[in-house]
Amino acid sequence: MYIRAASNISPQNTFGNQPLLQELAEYTGDRLSCIEPDYKALIDPKLIRRMSRIIKMGVAAGMDCLHQAGIQIPDAIITGTAYGCLEDTNTFLSKMVQQNEEALAPTAFIQSTHNTISAQIALLLQCHQYNNTFVNGGASFENALLDAMMLLYEGEASNVLVGGIDEITNNSHAILKRIGLYRSQPVSNFELFNTPGKGTMAGEGSAFFMLSKDASDADWAKIDGVSSFYKPRNTAEIKQQISIFLQSQNTNVHEIDLVITGNNGDLRNDALYGQLQQYDFANVPAINYKALCGEYPTSSAFAMWLAAHEIKNGTCSFVPESEEIPLKKVLIYNHYENIHHSLILLSAC
Amino acid sequence: MDKLIADLKEQIIEQLNLQDVKPEDIGDDQSLFGDGLGLDSIDALELIVLLQQKYKVKLSNAEDGPKIFRSVRTIAEFIESNKIPNA
Repeated sequence: MYIRAASNISPQNTFGNQPLLQELAEYTGDRLSCIEPDYKALIDPKLIRRMSRIIKMGVAAGMDCLHQAGIQIPDAIITGTAYGCLEDTNTFLSKMVQQNEEALAPTAFIQSTHNTISAQIALLLQCHQYNNTFVNGGASFENALLDAMMLLYEGEASNVLVGGIDEITNNSHAILKRIGLYRSQPVSNFELFNTPGKGTMAGEGSAFFMLSKDASDADWAKIDGVSSFYKPRNTAEIKQQISIFLQSQNTNVHEIDLVITGNNGDLRNDALYGQLQQYDFANVPAINYKALCGEYPTSSAFAMWLAAHEIKNGTCSFVPESEEIPLKKVLIYNHYENIHHSLILLSAC
Repeated sequence: MDKLIADLKEQIIEQLNLQDVKPEDIGDDQSLFGDGLGLDSIDALELIVLLQQKYKVKLSNAEDGPKIFRSVRTIAEFIESNKIPNA
């Protein structure tokens, strides 16, 4: 399947028609927040008033993606999100407590469901086609991608809008920090990998892709395959999964021009990548993308946007020694909390 | 009544998060739904909750809704005629 267009709202300047990450945004602390566009230029103000931040981020990226692809009504809309619309959920639950479960306003409740974003895009487009949302922790985006792939391969759809979205709220950040996900001492995202410790930096984002069955001149990249696996027992099993995946795509590690990995500066998290980078990917240029977007369950959508962008540009701008090497194959390997692991292989068209 | 109408306009803007709308933009007799302010059925639910929370007034018959929510003035009249003394 082919990536016809992509749109990304992230903690970096990624939205709109601008050069790939020319000026990187620095964050100090334990949290990277999205740089949001002016939504009034993208969404009808009458509709914006009911949308919480994550809904605006999702709808804007989805609509921008459709606009770029020149597609008015997609054959399917599929999203992946681990936490869904947390801000609305928080508003709704807080009011339930404050008002003793009496006279509850409907909007936050209606908008709090995980599938709100895909539904809002469909409502805006009056799109009555297939609409689905996958909520499966760190594999949510990958599940959405697999669903799109099956629809395209089985001929059920010719073009599918797929997105991965998650937000941080003050409450979710406080809870996840309490269970040790984030750094206790402030750190700069630019120094995240130079000061390894316990915990990482929180992140969020909304990345959408217009995927098509047939190739066109406008394609950014081709998605060769997606694979996910759950709670591997050890590094040997991870290596085996990578090997099986690459074999199934009729390729091997020597043909990979760039690997994008999910290192996040947390010693517990990065040990797995370290072993792979030291041996299996020793000679492959690598990008650790989470210094750009932070850690969140659907961050692999950011990684796929980055990979597609690099392939579209033709060279790897982030690894100086590789600037001259034309990018043909890019492998994304990410895991979230060592629970959900995923592999996505992209190639030049 | 004038004070109530002015308060209602501010509360409607806040409750419905009406963007770029000021109280003076809403006419006392302007239609709130359809071609007027452009509110919809979810807004109607929000207005019912608003009346219940702020004025302790309940809409007992849903069929009366279109008449009561026709304009800010009709809402104010409904509140005046149904409010509980000293509530």
